Amino acid sequence: MTALLALIRKEFVSLFGSPTAYLTLTMVALVSALIFFDHLKLYNQILFVYSTPTMGGFSSDAIPDHINLWDRVFFPVMETLGLTLIGAVPLITMRVFAEERARGTDELIVSTSLTPTSIVAGKFAVTYLFVTLMMLVSFVYPATAIERGGIGLQHLAATFAGLTLHGIAIASIGLACSAFASSQLVAAVSGWAVAFVLWDFSWMYPFVSEGVAKFLDGISLHPRYGSFAEGIVSLEHLVYFAGLALVALAVSRFAFDLRRVGA
Amino acid sequence: MRELALTGFLAIVFGLGAFYATQHFGAFSIVNLVVGCVALVIAIALGARRLRFVGGRHSRPVILRGLLLIVGALVLAVAAERLVASANIRFDWTFERRYELSPATLKVLAELPGEVSATLYAHPGDPRRRRTRLLIEQLATAGPVRTAESDLGDSPRDEDRFGVSSSNTVVLQLGDRFERVDRPNEATFYEALYRLRSVRTGTLLLLQGEGEGDPLDESDLGYSGLAAALQTEGYELRSVVSAALSEVPEDTDAVVLIAPQRRLLDGALGALRRYLERGGRLVALLEPGVESGVEELLAEYGLATPEGVLVDPASGGAGGSSSAGVDPVAYNYQEHPISKGLNSRRMTYFSGARSFTLRKPRPDDQLSAVVLSSPRAWLSDDPSALQRRFGGLEPDGAPQTYHPLVVAGRYPRDGGEVRIVASGDSDFASNRYLRVLYNLDLVLNAVHWAVERESEITLRPKIRDTIQFPLPLQNSLRTLYSVGLLLPELLLIAGGIVWLRRRVA
Repeated sequence: MTALLALIRKEFVSLFGSPTAYLTLTMVALVSALIFFDHLKLYNQILFVYSTPTMGGFSSDAIPDHINLWDRVFFPVMETLGLTLIGAVPLITMRVFAEERARGTDELIVSTSLTPTSIVAGKFAVTYLFVTLMMLVSFVYPATAIERGGIGLQHLAATFAGLTLHGIAIASIGLACSAFASSQLVAAVSGWAVAFVLWDFSWMYPFVSEGVAKFLDGISLHPRYGSFAEGIVSLEHLVYFAGLALVALAVSRFAFDLRRVGA
Repeated sequence: MRELALTGFLAIVFGLGAFYATQHFGAFSIVNLVVGCVALVIAIALGARRLRFVGGRHSRPVILRGLLLIVGALVLAVAAERLVASANIRFDWTFERRYELSPATLKVLAELPGEVSATLYAHPGDPRRRRTRLLIEQLATAGPVRTAESDLGDSPRDEDRFGVSSSNTVVLQLGDRFERVDRPNEATFYEALYRLRSVRTGTLLLLQGEGEGDPLDESDLGYSGLAAALQTEGYELRSVVSAALSEVPEDTDAVVLIAPQRRLLDGALGALRRYLERGGRLVALLEPGVESGVEELLAEYGLATPEGVLVDPASGGAGGSSSAGVDPVAYNYQEHPISKGLNSRRMTYFSGARSFTLRKPRPDDQLSAVVLSSPRAWLSDDPSALQRRFGGLEPDGAPQTYHPLVVAGRYPRDGGEVRIVASGDSDFASNRYLRVLYNLDLVLNAVHWAVERESEITLRPKIRDTIQFPLPLQNSLRTLYSVGLLLPELLLIAGGIVWLRRRVA
C-alpha cells in the first residue's frame, strides 16, 4: 500500500512538475470559455434580430423553436468541449507509460514490491484525477453563466458527470496507447486516432446494414456522452464507461507483460 | 513499422477530423481513411511478426494470461452493459423532468389498440434530434411504440404523404392513420397518441349567438384551443344557435356554455331547463357583470352567483396586467374528482371572475366548491374594478373569506342524475390562458366529470416553452473575466513558473 501511495505521489509530482499539464489545463479552460462566450454573443445577436418590431418582437411566436439557450449555446459548447478533450487528453496520457519506457525508468518501478496490476492501476488513477480536475476548470465558466438561464443544478451535474466520464474514457484509450507505444508522439497520435474513430460512427451508417449500424452506435462515445448532456443519467452508459476503462486497464497490463518478456 | 503506424494514425485523424468539421464525407476524408487503414494494417502485420520472438517457453504463459485478461475484461464489460441496458435504469436530471412520462401518457400508451410506429424526420446536424430521439425511446420503453429515424429529404414520398416540412418532426402511425407532431415534447406526443387511440367519449353541444366564446376563433380571446383539446379527448363538438334551440338533442352528453354576453332567449333557457330536468349535464363558464339568464337557472340548482367582481389580494400583480387582485391565482381545492391531483403547488389562473354561494335545493343533492380563492378575497360591487390595472382595491367592509370560483353539483332527479359544473370565469379556458398553469386540466376534467367519464380525469403533460430570453452580455462578461479568463491565466502563470524552475534546476 505504501509503495502504491508512493507511486501515486511520484506520478502527481511528475505530472505537475511538467508545464505540459498546466498548458493542457489552460488550453481546455480557455477554449471552452471563449467558445461559450462566442456562442452566447451570437445567440444574443440572433435574439436581438428577432426581437425587433419588424420581425415580430418577443411577444409573438416569431422566434423559431430552435433558437434557444440550450440548442444554440449550451449543447454546441458541450459538443465542442467533447471534441476538444479528444485533442487534449492524449497530450497528458502520452507520457504516462511511453516517457518512462523511453527513459528506462520503468525498470525501476518493476523492481519495487508493486504488482504490474497495481502499477498500471496507480497510473490510471492519477490520470483520472487529472482529467476530473481538467473538467472542473473547463466547466466552471459555462456552468456559472448558464445557471442563470435556469438549466438547474442537477442537469449541470449530469452534464459534468458525462464530460468527466467522456474525459476518463479518452484517458483510458490514451493510456492503453501509451502502454504499447515506445515514443510519446506515437502514443499521442494513436490516442487521437482511436478516440476519433470511437467518437462517432455515424459516417459509416450509409455503408453498413442496420444491425451493424446499431452495434457501431452501441460502442460510440458520442451518443453516450450526449445523453448526459441532455440530462439523462443512465446506468447503461455508466457501465459502458466503466467497461471501457476496465478493458483499457487489461490492455495496458498486457503491454506491461509484453515488455517484461522482451517484446 | 513505427513510422507506418504514425502515418496511418495521422491519416485517420485527418480523415475523420475533416468529416466532423464539414459533416461531409468527401474525397479528402475517404483517401485519408483508406491510406490510414492500409498503413495501420501493414504496421500491425509487421508488429505481429515481432511477436514471434516472444513465443518462447517462458513468455508464452505470460502472453496467454494477458490475452485472457483482455478477453475476460471485454466479456465482463459487454455482459454487464447488456444486462444493465435490458433493465433500462435511467434518471431524468433535467430541471423540468422532461423525460419522465406522466401518468396520463402512460395511461394512453397502455390503451393503444396496436403498435404505433414513431418516425423522426430531422436534419443530421439538428441539435434537437437527440432530445427527440430520447423522448420517443422513452415512449417505446413504456408502450407499444416502434421507433425509426430518417434524414429529412431521404424519403420524399413519405414526407409528402405526412406533410413533413421541417426538421425535428415526428410522425406517429397506427395502421392507416397517422398524426404529425411538429414540436415534439411529451405534451404534443400525448395529444397525438390520444387522437390515435380514437376513443369516442361523448357529444358536446356548444351554444352560440349571444356573444358566447367562439370555438373556431384562434385569437387570444378565442376558444379554438379548448375545442381542439376537447376533440383530442374524444368529444364531438356541435354548435347550435341558441335562438333556434327548442330542445336539446337526445344524444347530447353535455351542454357547454362559454360566457354568453347577452341574455339568452326564453326559448333557449326553457330548453336548457327541460334538458336538465330529464337528467342533463351542463358546463357553464360565466363572466362577472353579465346576466345571461343562465345565472337564474344555476340558482334554481343551488349555485347562486352574486353580483360583483372577485378581488383576491393574495394574487395582486398576477398576470402582469393587474396589481389590483382581480386576476386570482387559485391554489385552494376541495376534495372532488374534478380537482384530482391539484394542490397548492398546482395552481389555476383566472382573469376577472365572479363567485358563487351554494345552497342545496334538496337534501340528497351534493354541491361542492371545487376551486376556492384565498381567505383574503372579497367581492367588489364596483364594475370598473376589472379595468383597474394598478393600485389596490379596498374591501370597504365586504366580508373577506374563501370564495368559490368553480362549483359542481350532482342532483338525483326522476329523469336521471343531473350534473352541473359552473365557473365564475371563462377567460381561464381561452386561448390566452388555457395552457397557463393547470387551467387545461381543470376545464377538461370538469367536462369529463360532467359527462361521467371520471376515468379520463388526469393531469396532462405540460407544453414547456424553451428558454428564449437573452443572457445579458454584461453579466456574462463579468463571469468571463472573473472565471473564464482568470483561471486559465493563473494556470498558465503556474505552468510558466514550473518551467522556469525546472530550467534553473
